[in-house]
Amino acid sequence: MRPARPVRVGAAVLAILLAVLLAGAGRPGPAGAQQPVTLNLYISGDTNIFDLWQKGFIPAFSKRYPQYRVNFVGLMHGNGNDGIYDKLLAAKRAGRRTDVDLWETEPGYVTQGIPEGLWLKLSPRAVPNLAKVPKDVLEAAEYYGLPYRGSSVVIGYNSQFVKTPPKTFDDVVAWIKANPGKFTYCDPNTGGSGQAFVTAAIYRYVDPARYSGKPYDVKDEAAWEQGWKMLRDLQPAMYNNGFHPNGNVAVLQLLAQQNIYMASVWSDMGLDFYTRGQLPKSMRFTQITPPLIGDDARVTLPAGSAHIGGTLVLLNWLLTPEAQNMVINMVAGYPGIDWKYMPASVREKFKDVAKGFAPYPNPKYLADIKRLWHEKVVAAQ
Amino acid sequence: MSPTWYWSVGALRRAVGVGAFLALAAFILGPLLTLLLWACAGSWLFPSLLPEFSFKWWAYVLANADVTKAIRMSFASAPLATALSALICVPAAYAFARLRFPGRRALLLSFLSANAFPKIGLYVSIATLFYRLNLMDTFAGVVLIQMVNTLLFMIWIPTGTFRGINTNLEEAARDAGAGPLRTFFQITLPIALPGLIVAVLFAFLAAFDEAQGTLIVGTPNHITMPVMMYTLVLSYPQPVGAVFSVLLSLPSIAFLLLAQRYLRAGYLAAGYSL
Amino acid sequence: MSAVTVRAAARGAPARRAWKEGALGLALVLPPLMVLVFLIVLPAITAILDTLTPDPTVRGFTPALYTQLLASRIVRSDIVFTVVVTLVSVAVTFALSYPLALYLRFARGRLPAVLAVLFTIPLFVPVVIASFAMITFLVNHGVISTIFYRLGVQRFPPLVYNATGIVLTEVWASLPFAVLILGAGLQAIDGALIDGARDVGAGPLRTFGSIILPLNVTPTMIALTLLFINVFGSFTIPYLVGGNAPQMLGVTMTNYLTQYLRRSEAVTLAVMAFVISAVVGAVYVVSVSRRERGAV
Repeated sequence: MRPARPVRVGAAVLAILLAVLLAGAGRPGPAGAQQPVTLNLYISGDTNIFDLWQKGFIPAFSKRYPQYRVNFVGLMHGNGNDGIYDKLLAAKRAGRRTDVDLWETEPGYVTQGIPEGLWLKLSPRAVPNLAKVPKDVLEAAEYYGLPYRGSSVVIGYNSQFVKTPPKTFDDVVAWIKANPGKFTYCDPNTGGSGQAFVTAAIYRYVDPARYSGKPYDVKDEAAWEQGWKMLRDLQPAMYNNGFHPNGNVAVLQLLAQQNIYMASVWSDMGLDFYTRGQLPKSMRFTQITPPLIGDDARVTLPAGSAHIGGTLVLLNWLLTPEAQNMVINMVAGYPGIDWKYMPASVREKFKDVAKGFAPYPNPKYLADIKRLWHEKVVAAQ
Repeated sequence: MSPTWYWSVGALRRAVGVGAFLALAAFILGPLLTLLLWACAGSWLFPSLLPEFSFKWWAYVLANADVTKAIRMSFASAPLATALSALICVPAAYAFARLRFPGRRALLLSFLSANAFPKIGLYVSIATLFYRLNLMDTFAGVVLIQMVNTLLFMIWIPTGTFRGINTNLEEAARDAGAGPLRTFFQITLPIALPGLIVAVLFAFLAAFDEAQGTLIVGTPNHITMPVMMYTLVLSYPQPVGAVFSVLLSLPSIAFLLLAQRYLRAGYLAAGYSL
Repeated sequence: MSAVTVRAAARGAPARRAWKEGALGLALVLPPLMVLVFLIVLPAITAILDTLTPDPTVRGFTPALYTQLLASRIVRSDIVFTVVVTLVSVAVTFALSYPLALYLRFARGRLPAVLAVLFTIPLFVPVVIASFAMITFLVNHGVISTIFYRLGVQRFPPLVYNATGIVLTEVWASLPFAVLILGAGLQAIDGALIDGARDVGAGPLRTFGSIILPLNVTPTMIALTLLFINVFGSFTIPYLVGGNAPQMLGVTMTNYLTQYLRRSEAVTLAVMAFVISAVVGAVYVVSVSRRERGAV
């Protein structure tokens, strides 16, 4: 997609046209040399994550480092991310600095951008606090991206209708079959809570470690067949004869309207909705064994960013106890740094759930899981 | 004018007709009224027929300063995009309708591509061009990307309108010694005005609704309403989505009330007379 | 042949006038054309070339991506689904909007004035909000189903998250557009003509078929073409209101781009969708120009 010469000639002509048309419009350009420096953060996630940044991180960071101003751009999971990726790729191709200084996104985009050279590789020299992050977590993303918090998917159920909560994945499956139409998970293209249920079915028959590491071989996907069969067989017993709504929030809304009594949900989001009174009082959350997947959310630094210095300061601050405590207190997340750097009281509180989640498949396998789910589960009905 | 041709065909048919209209009205208004109810709901759990009323979510939403900023950006950019589009497209539409030039049909058809080519395949190239022109994160860039969506409406509808206007009047004016520009402004334009207003309306709405391109070009400092809309409507609890929806529809509905004078029967005259 | 040309020929020096007219026409068309060329046509050509050269190290074009995608049963069913949903939506919209446009055109009084405003409301509601409203209205345990539940009806057919939901929402969103375009054309029809038809004993259907429709062909064609292209290319409505499978192409290509990490396939699907829309557009232009020629 390299732009050919006509584009450049055209660009000049178009520029003249624009100059004539928009002479009076003015052009407030991006913040350049002015003080203080403005960092543009693009954060995708659900509302609880927006709140974590807007009400937690950003005020605290600005107070500690008044030389930086922070501009927050919120993107609903998935929908804006493709646009931001296009924007970064275009900046790279045009040889321009980009106004995306930090991006929290899905691992898929980070993987896609590595061969394009879009990201800055992190190191403890640039971000001293990186030394506190477990090595394997950093290596999983090849040091492209800073894992600053973790969260996991759990099973949410309405205790008014579910008298004995499930303990294992097989319990969940048995309950679904015994109570047709009262369970669903979101389309895995639209949310992690759906991906968790799908991978749980796949992991039921294979070794998770084989798919969470870096190596990728399409041939290994043949082993997923049993998992697909199980999901396919479950379809008639799903809500609305096999309907999977869009996004984590939509599943919570089905639980709220009591269309369903059980679902896989993100622990932090479920608790957030529950405490706001948006779920029935009888809602409960439980983790099964082996646990469902969870992940370390990462923020990635575009190599073309115009404010790398300031963003590195922010990244380092994100790994301080001050910021990490916000992760725990505001979104019930898990810290990004090693547990041993957290206060004893926090360690005590989280000792049962700490890192209690299965690993995510690597982004390439995950992309194939999403595509194959569509092909082998919902379209095969 | 005498009573209409199909309106006086008996009471039964009339009753059926009224019933059909009521059903249609329910279909059109039902979803919007539901939204209004949700916006006033503290919570609304099945099987209650009505929600538990509360306005607590309004306070939650109105505390968000980004929303008002985005509304202002939308109302600055969409009208400008529409005006610029009208400025360059109406003369072109006149040419398409009245002048013979090589490749006329192919060029007219080519404007279809502005709406028919799914843009997700184009954004990287468009954004690259915008970076080269230093249009990223600028007001001008947002206006330009919104203009793309208006082209089809601003070319096709006026072309149909001009084509529908009888040339005798123009010829008479020319024969009486009026120059081509004077003929256009004094004869053609007034007759075409209703059709042009419809085109402007659709163009405005197309510019106003543009989301993905504006997201790419406008972030981080030039964010419009539709860019926020997905996030606001879909990722908050249902009443919040409803409050946002009502809030974000209000400007449009106000516009409707302003424009309805032109939309009402009688003003939409002479669009496509053949 | 347009009247201008005829007149020019009558005044002499036809060749020079024709040349001047052609130059003027091109000059007037140039500005919007530039915007189109740089923001759509050139990027589109680049995109199409990319889909034909999936492997940059191999010289020459290959339709490999196209054959590969078309070989997939799911992609084929998505294409068929998209076409069928689009045709049904357009047909339903058309069937509802024509009577409405006729009513608004020929009825007198306060009710039509109120209805005229009422039926334009959806035009001013952004599609994201329209879809959201439709879901809250139609979903199981939503308003409609709660009313039925209270009336003692326990089983409720699923109206959203399937093709029905997409069609209902598309119709809801496109109705005012169709009514306005058709209505603008109907304004131009002389009421006396219709009264005349009735006087000689023509029924309503006959009057519609032999008087109104033939006089309103261009707006009808514009409405149908734009409706088709609009519904066919929609993303938001099928994404929010549709089911998991099959999906409309707008959703499929977005999934390929954002979820399956297959950018070239996504662009290839976009090109295929464009070809289908372009064919419909071409039918419109051909039919209109044929009428034009017939009219002289």
